Amino acid sequence: MISTGDGNRTMRKSTIEENLSNKNGPLSTQELRVRTQQLSLREQLERNHFLLERLYAASAGLIQALNDGDVHTAIGEILGNLIGCEEAALFHYNPENRRFALAWSVGMSDETLQQFSKGTGMMWRTVGEGLTQFRDRQNESHLQPCEQNLTASVILKSSREVVGVILLFGLLPQKSGFEWVDYQILKFLETYGAVTIQLQSLRKNAVTP
Amino acid sequence: MASKKILLVDDSCTARLVNRMIFSQKSNYELISAVDGKEAVERARQDKPDLILMDIMMPRMTGLEACRAIKQDKTTSGIPVILLTTRGEESYVQEGYASGCSDYLTKPVNDAELLDLLRAYLGE
Repeated sequence: MISTGDGNRTMRKSTIEENLSNKNGPLSTQELRVRTQQLSLREQLERNHFLLERLYAASAGLIQALNDGDVHTAIGEILGNLIGCEEAALFHYNPENRRFALAWSVGMSDETLQQFSKGTGMMWRTVGEGLTQFRDRQNESHLQPCEQNLTASVILKSSREVVGVILLFGLLPQKSGFEWVDYQILKFLETYGAVTIQLQSLRKNAVTP
Repeated sequence: MASKKILLVDDSCTARLVNRMIFSQKSNYELISAVDGKEAVERARQDKPDLILMDIMMPRMTGLEACRAIKQDKTTSGIPVILLTTRGEESYVQEGYASGCSDYLTKPVNDAELLDLLRAYLGE
């Protein structure tokens, strides 16, 4: 059996069938409406639970990395294991000299990273607006050739300070696009990824004056 | 009756944590873990789990290498191994089965599908 992950399908098909069937014969319209409503509410709860589990794992991963690992690697694990993206790069941003610096990457060629190291349109829009930019919501004419394979440019922002951007390129083949849970995890990373990077940086500077 | 024991092998603490939460909340399986293939082979010999759920890309020894080693050892060859990986393409799947795995799951893991698969091997 080959199974593909899908964060939105948290309720099993058998459960739905069991709930909508009736051993004593066909359900009345009223019974059917009540059961459908129950299923809908149950699905909402399960979806939320699914999200909270993943947010907890993401948060725990960041905190553990602060203690005994590398925050960038922890962010990479979140992208790979929870979102399904193993082609990504993280650039720090220095607002004083308006420069990006590559801090971490996975699955990317040096040539591609070089193209992004000076910043691209989507990266500048990300830091300029302070908002995550998604490739499928961009005006095609504003995209640079190297941005064709970019899926998202995620802002890393702590309070109002822009710390950097995470560039997400190809998603895993079994992922057709971002799902609701993915957007929430990216939202979490926008703030807590940035805070954790800042904290690790402060700690490093404290031990190596 | 003693609960069934699953050996979870993944170098990512995020992945281990997600799986631990799924098992603790939704099943009665006992979970033990290892962080790479080498440790997995040792723990399989030592702890004799009922099933092994193992990532492929890991340091020291990959999941494929570990699966081969587990299947070549008479004391562990009967343990079903489910490979857990990000790569779902046909060539990767074939390589997985060639290593002797019983099944193949792709990440990100879906709770219900994972539990359904485990129940197919281990029961409730």
